[in-house]
Amino acid sequence: MENTKPAVADVSLSALFLAFFRLGCTSFGGGTGAWVYREMVQRRGWIDERLFLTDMALGQSLPGSNGIKMAILVGRRLKGGAGAFMAALAMLGPPFAIIIVIAAIYGRIANITGVHAVLDGVAAAVVGLTFSSGISAIARGTPEPSAVVIAGVTVLCVGVFGWPMLPVMLGLAPVSIAIAFARMRRQA
Amino acid sequence: MRQPSLFEALAALGAVFAPLSLLSFGGGNATIADIAHQTIAVHHWANDRDFADLFALSRAAPGPGSMLCALIGWKAAGLAGAFVATVAFYLPASLLLFAAANIWGRWRGSPWHHAVERGIAPIAAGLFLSGGVAVLRVAPAGLAAWIAAGLAASALLYWPKLHPVPLLIVSGAVFGLIDLLGVRL
Repeated sequence: MENTKPAVADVSLSALFLAFFRLGCTSFGGGTGAWVYREMVQRRGWIDERLFLTDMALGQSLPGSNGIKMAILVGRRLKGGAGAFMAALAMLGPPFAIIIVIAAIYGRIANITGVHAVLDGVAAAVVGLTFSSGISAIARGTPEPSAVVIAGVTVLCVGVFGWPMLPVMLGLAPVSIAIAFARMRRQA
Repeated sequence: MRQPSLFEALAALGAVFAPLSLLSFGGGNATIADIAHQTIAVHHWANDRDFADLFALSRAAPGPGSMLCALIGWKAAGLAGAFVATVAFYLPASLLLFAAANIWGRWRGSPWHHAVERGIAPIAAGLFLSGGVAVLRVAPAGLAAWIAAGLAASALLYWPKLHPVPLLIVSGAVFGLIDLLGVRL
């Protein structure tokens, strides 16, 4: 071990590919961003926690699957553009192959009613997981009333009325960002 | 209704998933409500029953939950559809992120960046909840699905460290067992 620990480890492109390939095969239950954190920061120590969190802040302000975003950002820190590409590819390839196999099997057993019942149960629990992350995201820190209202309006428009996301986001995002900006100005 | 050609189906998949890629603030989950709407009502790639199954399958498999797009693509246009939907859903956001990472240093810490981050967060949370509502609304199990989702959400909020996978297995097993006993949900 060196005395001055660098922020990122020196790993080869193939080792990077294999590590993310393994993550792609084993990250069950969604929340792949947390899986990347556990593997790259805690288990392998390939990237310094502070650097990871800085990148995560960037990832969270942009669209995209959280796991893939973190794979791209960690891959970029470790091996530049090639690393980012390899990490994303390795993280997406195995789940894609697995899901196609599952789809093919499903096509053959979809006529058994018990299969639907089991999948209904799984889906309901997944929705519960989605609800809990939505609720804890709103409740994180001290929830501001305006944030709760914005989240509520979003649920009403997209979830209840079934309006498409794009116009809802275009309408709400400027309002929400302006409120956040005004609050920061007041606090400063 | 005329059956669309393979090319038309692939083009439609791209046209649905590429814009959603750039709108998926807060993660792939944020787009579930829109994916459900486009898949079932607009393009008829799957009915309620199939969508509920595909949603569950996408979560029982490893990888990002948004692999649902591959399943929708597969249902709409086979292997080529799965590939096109997946590329359309992941590529635009990935390119945007990579470009942003390269200019991030200059932008970081500015008040506007914080305002955008804090302003988008409640919308992303609302989109998460909307995705759940959208799935439950088409769930063939009806009220039972709402109850199970409520119980699972409560459990996860009460025990945040709880691993979600056992919860999925238990819920699937309970629904399967109820079906086995001949009770129609």
